[in-house]
Amino acid sequence: MTATSDPSAPSRRWTRDLRLVAHQVKFEQLAFWVNRVGAVFTVGFSVVFLVMLGASDGNQRVATLGGARLITYYVPGFIAYGVMAAGFTTLAITIVVRRETGLLKRLRLSPMPTWVLLTSIFVSTAIVAVVQFLLLLVIGRVAYHVAFPSSWLALVVAVLVGVVSFSAMGVAISTLVPNQETAGPVTSIVFFVLLFLAGLYFPLPAGSGLARFSNYLPVRHLILAMDRPFDIPRGVSPWAWHDLLAVALWGAGATLVALRRFRWSPRRP
Amino acid sequence: MTPALRVEGLAKSYGEIRALDAVGFEVERGEVFGLLGPNGAGKSTTIEILEGFVRRDAGTVEVLGVDPGDPRQLPGLRTRIGVVLQELAVEPFFTVRQVLERNAGFYPNPRPVDEVIELVGLSEKRDAKIKRLSGGQQRRLDIGLGIIGNPELLFLDEPTTGLDPAARRTTWDLIRLLASEGTTVVMSSHYMDEVEALAGRVAVLSRGRVAALSTTTSLGGRDRGEATIRFTLPAGVAVSDLPVTVSRVDGDAVEVRTAHEVDDLHALTGWARERGLASLGLRVTRETLEDIYLALTGPEGGESARSEP
Repeated sequence: MTATSDPSAPSRRWTRDLRLVAHQVKFEQLAFWVNRVGAVFTVGFSVVFLVMLGASDGNQRVATLGGARLITYYVPGFIAYGVMAAGFTTLAITIVVRRETGLLKRLRLSPMPTWVLLTSIFVSTAIVAVVQFLLLLVIGRVAYHVAFPSSWLALVVAVLVGVVSFSAMGVAISTLVPNQETAGPVTSIVFFVLLFLAGLYFPLPAGSGLARFSNYLPVRHLILAMDRPFDIPRGVSPWAWHDLLAVALWGAGATLVALRRFRWSPRRP
Repeated sequence: MTPALRVEGLAKSYGEIRALDAVGFEVERGEVFGLLGPNGAGKSTTIEILEGFVRRDAGTVEVLGVDPGDPRQLPGLRTRIGVVLQELAVEPFFTVRQVLERNAGFYPNPRPVDEVIELVGLSEKRDAKIKRLSGGQQRRLDIGLGIIGNPELLFLDEPTTGLDPAARRTTWDLIRLLASEGTTVVMSSHYMDEVEALAGRVAVLSRGRVAALSTTTSLGGRDRGEATIRFTLPAGVAVSDLPVTVSRVDGDAVEVRTAHEVDDLHALTGWARERGLASLGLRVTRETLEDIYLALTGPEGGESARSEP
């Protein structure tokens, strides 16, 4: 036996690991913003959609929103979109590409602990979500006079629950995608169909068939959980517990799928 | 000092398929060791077990004196080994320097980034995006990532598969350079010339077993100078009349495998002159590494091992 065991105390190992998380987050961020495709798809799309939809029918007052302006629904809606695009689509595609090119395997074989890698990915996704969340709030406020949320805490919690749950769903769906060629199309189709069903582009009347159906899916619940902290009549809680729980349950289910099916190595011909 | 690698009775099955069966070999520090074999012979599985990526079913494995199958020892071991995979595993959007700096952060005592850039010959490309590099340059960067942690032992899994001949050469030069610095290298390949050019010793794997284990120069008895003399049996002569020990007769084609080709040729030609024979159609050949490799691994190679039920 050679004298190679790590003599460092547990506390020192923790600070070293946290430094490693910061180090890795820095490069995850660099990869995200330098790559541009992910940045355009996540932050760019949500901003463009918000501006376009806001300009076309944002000031329309709708009965399904109790007579409120549509734009007050679009701001939280597209914050939810950004969280989902960063956590679900972008993450799923990133994982498939990294897996199939051997990058995941290489990271697995490096001394970086797996939890450091996963934590870095989640933190990086959360940073992206927060950037676009602030951007949308400011655009909504400046261009369309949408009030800031009455409960910041409820909104931040909704964003975090969304990031963690949809990241888990992104990891789960990455295990169902066979190769990098199909990663983009498969995840995008699933994503946009879900968005449509959940009524991102137009609020669904409560009790309609589509609303009842999308109650079984996570997307509408996230939109509603984001919507609630914004425009609340007196006496109504800003916490959409029911919706947050539904999103978290989907996240938990996805985590189980991800744990069972996750692969580090590429598929060999 | 413990050997770099010690493998004994290593076995691994994937379902019904026996990928490895009683594989054993040892690698000393500072060696360049080749794992040679056709696709599916078990090279990658062996390397993946040594790297701690795949769990073995049975056998003893020690990498730098540590069992890679022990989850408590594996993190420490990973700071001491370097790994280069078959795939060109480098992020396309980063620059050469960025990706090396990133990976340097994973290790306790990394090599200086500039030193590695210099070593792999990418000084002029240090700020270039990786997607702008040629295949050979990407492979050299890949090897640079393998050595950024200052490893005592470097695994190279088919380092030149898919590269063009020029890129293969520059990759070989780099591996030679690393070996001359004292890095222990364990490489797999299905190219015989590659192993012959780089490795001092070689294990030939075939269908999950070690078919041969020796120095590269003595593989299959090449160093014993065994030669094959072939000639045509003259009309009216019986094989038993010949002055040499015959190994094989096929019609009138005679084959003599011998370690003393000078003596045997002398006897044969003297015998032929006595009988007034002007020509025997004599040919003397030596086995190439390729002949030995094919003889060891069989014509179907490892493909049949995969499809066996």
